[in-house]
Amino acid sequence: MVTHNTTQNLPARTAHRPRTILAAGRITAWRGVDLITAAMLAVAFGVVFWAFDTFVYPGVSAVTAGFPPAGELALGVWLIPAVVGGLVVRRPGAALFTELVAANIELFLGNQWGVAVLLSGALQGLGVEIVLAVFLWRRFGALTAVLGGIVSAVLEIVGYEWWSYVAGYSWTWRIVYLICGMISGGLIAGLGGWALVRALARAGALNAFPPGQEVRETHASR
Amino acid sequence: MRRTPPAEQGLPILPEGSRSTPVGALVEVQDLTWRPFGRADPVLEDFSLRIEPGQRVLLAGPSGSGKSTLLRAIAGVLTATESGDLAGSVRIDGCDQQGSGAVVGLMVQDPADASVAGQIGRDVAFGLENESVPRENIWPRVRRALATVAFPYGVDHPVSALSGGEAQRLALAGVLVLHPGLVLLDEPSSMLDPQAATAVRQAIWAAVAVSGATVVLVEHQLEHWLPEIDRVVALGADGAITADGTVDETLLAAPDTLAAHGVWVPGVRAPQPLKVPRQLCAPVGWGVPAGDMVMRAEGVGMLRTLPVGLGGSSPGGTSGGTVVTLSGADAVVRAGEIVALVGPSGAGKSTLAALLAGLERPSSGFVIAGQQLRSGLHENPADWSSAELARRVGWVPQQAELAVVARTVREDALSTCRRLQLDELTPRAEALLEVLGLAESAETDPHHLSGGQLRRLALAGAMAHGPALLVLDEPTVGQDRQTWAAVAGVITAARDAGAAVLVATHDRLLMDLADRCVRLDHGRVIEAAESAESAAAVPALAPTTLISPAVGPAARRGRFRPLTERCGPLALLGSAVLLLAGALPITRLSEALLGVGAELLLAPLVLGWRGHRLRRLLPGLLAVASVWFSTWLLSPHQDPIAGATAGLRIAFFVLPGVLLVRFIDPFTLGDHLAQRLLLPGRPVVAAVAALQRFESLAEQWRELRRIRRVRALEGARGPAARGRELVALTFALLVQTLRQAGRMAVAMEARGFSLPATRRVRRTWAQPAPWLLADTALVVLAAVVAAIPVALAVLR
Repeated sequence: MVTHNTTQNLPARTAHRPRTILAAGRITAWRGVDLITAAMLAVAFGVVFWAFDTFVYPGVSAVTAGFPPAGELALGVWLIPAVVGGLVVRRPGAALFTELVAANIELFLGNQWGVAVLLSGALQGLGVEIVLAVFLWRRFGALTAVLGGIVSAVLEIVGYEWWSYVAGYSWTWRIVYLICGMISGGLIAGLGGWALVRALARAGALNAFPPGQEVRETHASR
Repeated sequence: MRRTPPAEQGLPILPEGSRSTPVGALVEVQDLTWRPFGRADPVLEDFSLRIEPGQRVLLAGPSGSGKSTLLRAIAGVLTATESGDLAGSVRIDGCDQQGSGAVVGLMVQDPADASVAGQIGRDVAFGLENESVPRENIWPRVRRALATVAFPYGVDHPVSALSGGEAQRLALAGVLVLHPGLVLLDEPSSMLDPQAATAVRQAIWAAVAVSGATVVLVEHQLEHWLPEIDRVVALGADGAITADGTVDETLLAAPDTLAAHGVWVPGVRAPQPLKVPRQLCAPVGWGVPAGDMVMRAEGVGMLRTLPVGLGGSSPGGTSGGTVVTLSGADAVVRAGEIVALVGPSGAGKSTLAALLAGLERPSSGFVIAGQQLRSGLHENPADWSSAELARRVGWVPQQAELAVVARTVREDALSTCRRLQLDELTPRAEALLEVLGLAESAETDPHHLSGGQLRRLALAGAMAHGPALLVLDEPTVGQDRQTWAAVAGVITAARDAGAAVLVATHDRLLMDLADRCVRLDHGRVIEAAESAESAAAVPALAPTTLISPAVGPAARRGRFRPLTERCGPLALLGSAVLLLAGALPITRLSEALLGVGAELLLAPLVLGWRGHRLRRLLPGLLAVASVWFSTWLLSPHQDPIAGATAGLRIAFFVLPGVLLVRFIDPFTLGDHLAQRLLLPGRPVVAAVAALQRFESLAEQWRELRRIRRVRALEGARGPAARGRELVALTFALLVQTLRQAGRMAVAMEARGFSLPATRRVRRTWAQPAPWLLADTALVVLAAVVAAIPVALAVLR
């Protein structure tokens, strides 16, 4: 006789705090579907980036080639996989894994930064990972997402770009560059990624994951 | 009805030492109840079923009766992608079946969901790797499994070059290689054309005849399967068993009861198209007289160069062959007729349909719209704007699930009317939903619909706004008898009301409704008959592949091979990383110049002379120029030396990095990461399986754009509209991706993907990951070059 009831993993319902459903089982016990979904999300974002590069970015990059700090306002786009991966799977390492696979796609497609894209991917993923760890993988709201996007941008810029692409800038401009990246990370990756996950959950695409189960539980309780 | 159990024939079934059951497994389902979260009622409730070893059971029943759920429960993958309340037990040969994996083989609907590797040998080996079978035992078993399904190709044949039927046989080999005592088949031929379906059926029966495995089959089109079936279990709409016995006792005893439930029972006469009022389907604002040409293709050809994609290939090789999907095809669609586009899979039906719908430009030849239809616009429909096209053409894509464009079923059906400001058509759209059996779900999110429902919704959305030309790609797939009648009724009503209808189809019943058939084979029109009967009588040609396979490095022996062609992925990646590390300490122009100079000197030896697509360097060169210029601009005192240093510093690691990475094959990289760097196996396997989907996801993206164009949803040119468009497309792509990931997870778990984790052992790898002399040489060279700037700085 097998009785498999996943509800027992849900925290008890309280009237005041909005309920957050946590990943089923031990938080480090990745299911197969967690891994496959994180990897597939990354590949889908790889396709989106490729399309962004071909359809939208040429205009943006023509403008920003001459003035990179402005280009940094688009940085958030590349951080979305980390935020979405982390918010969907809700396990330690999800953000890092998703962003690294996405970086691999860019690497294999051929991109402007060569192998450095893997270093970027690792730093960006770690940024989101740090914020999720601070909340002990228990909070996945808009605030967490925005902070994740910001820290991700900070790690990418302070940990890498300051010493490579903009090493010759004066410190004033380096700070401007950083602030542009943080704004973009918070808004595009943080808020944007959070909204995307919420919309996906409502469309029933995340039924296998905690955000999707939250939506269904809310419907059930109404 | 069939042969004696093979166990009695004493056939040599298994190699010595195999741990699986040599004969069919006993299946006992006891009081199984399953309620997925978010559903009020259980899909299965107190369900019990016993299947004797070696029995071949067909599960029949209307869609939504829980057949697939039962199959997944027996496979032990019910909780792989869904959560809910599960009670009761499933025992295979007396052992509990929850996540125990591989004694049970599950074959899923779409072979694309089952494939995990780039080459067929690796794909078949997947289950064995998960079972930690030693490498030397893997390959003989893989070859034997490929022979069982009559596969003509070698183990290194690319999976991407297979046809649908071949891919499904490959999936079968991947299941059989584990010697399952129980084989579960979830509509294994529903995505295939009749010939490919026959080949798959033959392969399945031949294989289980040898192994004696128990078989459980879920299928809607029963006809061709019945001769080999021992027992039929029919489920009612509530998931309870309504009939159980031999084919004679069940299907043939009460065919009408099952037919009334929508099951396609062989022998019961074909359903009649529903009588649908003509005004529901009439073109709006188009008075093209019946018989007048609406759209014409003149000698159109379509060449597709396979994209280079992610698969690593040496620069000298012709990576990506060319596929001729269509050549010199003529076709015409007139008002007031149904034209059926028929022929085997891969014959070019969808391509020709998309061309006639104005969704693509032909590589050669012309597509010309009729005088009345174009009413002053350019004659080539590919030049029309999104709204102009939508007004004239309605399209149902083959992958109907991609056609979801709104949040509710009603909104979806109305969206194009709204965009074209035809709000007076709202009642007509509502009536169409009613006819197509979607009125009850009008307020639900389309993503919650079944495959058959989604296809009907796509049809409603394509014709609600009254286009004069309807191009429908496989509109009847996944329909039961009742819904088939509704779809056929809508199509014939549109014809009778004066619309021109083009259907690409394998469906014999739909062909019978057509006024004309255009038969395609190998991308050519082989017959454009004036009546459906004569076209149906033409014998089909054997399918052959049009793909010219990529020429690998092995084909060009006997010439100088640069170092990189002989290196493994870790050395290539490692040397690129070394150069990156070497670039960071560069602070002076002299260091940068010497470093880049050394690289230029070594480049011919390491990278070779020829065949580099220098276009790949363009983004990198642009980055170098950008850093150069902006550093000069934003450096203290606008120092030109600082700009040059910064630019060359980037060039030092970016440009060689881009060229080195070209030689990495992502699939080999996975092997090396797991075996040499001892990264955990499951994430690496998941990443590699996902990387392989890149090209198919890119194709879905293109398809989503076509849908938005033909539904008048394509944004204007402004940056804000472009941005919204990108968000909408991204969302749609992610929904599809998540669904596909769920189906992949089921197929992969059924082949033991998580077995190493539950057993706490390391999986094995079919392919070794050797470290060669060339690898050492490349890394040493890279280290020397990377050390130049540091050495110069120290010497100073």
